Amino acid sequence: MNDIITCRQLTKNYQRGSVVTPALRGVTLTIPRGSFTCIIGPSGHGKSTLMHLLGGLDRPTSGSVSLDGIALDTLDERALAEVRSRKIGFVFQFFNLLNNLTARENVELALMLAGVPGSRQTARAGDLLARVGLADRADYRPAQLSGGQQQRVAIARALANNPPLLLMDEPTGNLDSEAEAEILAILKSLHAEGTTVVLVTHNAEIAARAEQIIRVRDGLAFMTAEDAAAGRLVA
Amino acid sequence: MNLPKLVVNNMTRRRGRFVFTLLGITIGIGAFVTFLALGGSLKQEVMREANALGANLVVTPKGSCAYEQVSILTGEVLPSNITMEEYARVKALPGMTVVPVLAEKSAINNRPVSVSGILPDEMRAFKGWQIAAGSDLAATDEIAVLLGAEAAEQFRLQPGGKVVVRGEALPVKGVLAATGGKDDVTVFLPLATAQRLFGTGSHVSYLAVKVDDVTGIDLAIERIREQVSLGVVSDRQMLASVLAIVGSVNVTLQLIAAVAVLAAAFGIVNTMLTATYERKREIGILQALGATRRTIFTLFLVESGLYGLLGGVCGVGSGLLFTLAVAPHLEQNAFTSFVKGSGGIGLPDPLVIGGAILFSAAVAVLAGLYPAWRASRLSPVEAISYE
Ligand SMILES: Nc1ncnc2c1ncn2[C@@H]1O[C@H](COP(=O)(O)OP(=O)(O)OP(=O)(O)O)[C@@H](O)[C@H]1O
Ligand SMILES: [Mg+2]
Repeated sequence: MNDIITCRQLTKNYQRGSVVTPALRGVTLTIPRGSFTCIIGPSGHGKSTLMHLLGGLDRPTSGSVSLDGIALDTLDERALAEVRSRKIGFVFQFFNLLNNLTARENVELALMLAGVPGSRQTARAGDLLARVGLADRADYRPAQLSGGQQQRVAIARALANNPPLLLMDEPTGNLDSEAEAEILAILKSLHAEGTTVVLVTHNAEIAARAEQIIRVRDGLAFMTAEDAAAGRLVA
Repeated sequence: MNLPKLVVNNMTRRRGRFVFTLLGITIGIGAFVTFLALGGSLKQEVMREANALGANLVVTPKGSCAYEQVSILTGEVLPSNITMEEYARVKALPGMTVVPVLAEKSAINNRPVSVSGILPDEMRAFKGWQIAAGSDLAATDEIAVLLGAEAAEQFRLQPGGKVVVRGEALPVKGVLAATGGKDDVTVFLPLATAQRLFGTGSHVSYLAVKVDDVTGIDLAIERIREQVSLGVVSDRQMLASVLAIVGSVNVTLQLIAAVAVLAAAFGIVNTMLTATYERKREIGILQALGATRRTIFTLFLVESGLYGLLGGVCGVGSGLLFTLAVAPHLEQNAFTSFVKGSGGIGLPDPLVIGGAILFSAAVAVLAGLYPAWRASRLSPVEAISYE
């Protein structure tokens, strides 16, 4: 089984009172294991919604997601949390970190939730922070770190339990190009080591370097620009 | 990182709110413990005084109420309108020993003390007193005083010293051995001297009666009632009615404390609910990292319970300190005067202390249920999308 994610006919309606917003209208796609995939598309067309569904953060209105061979819709809340803990590393655009914890403690949190005993957390968190070039910032709080450094801590934390999949929603969305380049370098090396990287981005340059691009438009997903123009859905 | 560390970190990040919430529960439990300690020693003292009275029956003026019965136990001033002639008639009855007491108050060094006018020989025999220093009063019109052990110690008086009562300096003739009752803090005067100084004529406040055969108490009551038109109450009845009053005072105080604890509980609800709003996004992050609803629920419930535990410990501590600090200042009141003086404060037993802390923790856990439930119901996406 070479696809880490397979999803079929995913739809998601948001309901606020009597107003129903269809955010996804039938997305079928696959993400090959070990690939570097970018999800792009205009604002408000469903990229984040798709990412949340793929990562089991939310449940679809209809359709199914299979992650690493596990059908997410068959899982109860506990099992889904377990999948998030062990299979996926999430990074969001803003406020990833708990502000009253140090960088190290933020990473330890992910280890704690995966049941890693306290005695092993500190060393592992130190290694992870070193991995993203922040060994000397381990005891800083988020407020004492730059935006780029904060995102690197978030990546270190996402890697805590060696997940096969990284799901990131515009992790460089509010960083300058230098900080963005540092993050991309880290993602590249992770990809080189075999981690599947799925990145929601608005940056065409980054997308150009991806192995696979998924265009999200109007709640639907397309493989290529031509497909999008012709309205051919991702198979 | 572990759950307790995370809880403490969460709890203390808003210092002001942490302190004030804790203060609320501390005050509630503190009040609870204070009232419990004061009320508990009230009850103990009442029982001890009733015991130390050494009488099976007390003859009081007609129409005496429970308040006056309390005063007999505490040594407060009582109306004196039993005549010596009535005393003689009761004394003449068979099968009982009777002593008259004139209960008054005076002050030594501006501190109030109980003064009892007694018939020295009869009283010593009645109570089984021992003289610790000096000698006993001799005649009923002697100009001298006999001091309770604690009164002597408190005012540094020994035989040869002087006590001023109603403007007249009386020599201290003797000091009693400790009895464990209110006699220890009382100044005794020969009855005739006391009657002269306090201008009560030939009246006394009450008669203490010891019945030779305890099973014949009802008969003794009958006989006294036939003989004189006065009230008669057994020590049991007196104890029961005094304890009933003490009990209702205690219940009232504890209701007040309960209201304080309840208010503190809502303080905790408020603090924890505010925390769930403030930490909405963090809850989402935790869920994305693999926290289950149960973990989130536990996180909030433990924080809330910790408020109760800490508040309980602080409350018990401050309640006991407050009790010790305030007890000596409770004076001039028939109820509260039990607490001062003779025995000091009996600290509540460890069971009560442990119970108060557990109670506090339990209340706090209850208060935390709703906020914890609210926090755990957040969906990850809802929490993460929150701005
Ligand atoms: N919690 C929600 N309740 C109601 N509607 C929502 C909710 N979240 C998203 N939507 C709607 O769903 C649609 C898709 O939103 P989504 O966040 O997935 O877009 P996006 O492609 O990530 O946009 P952006 O690039 O701005 O992040 C939008 O129309 C949005 O208004
Ligand atoms: Mg988005």
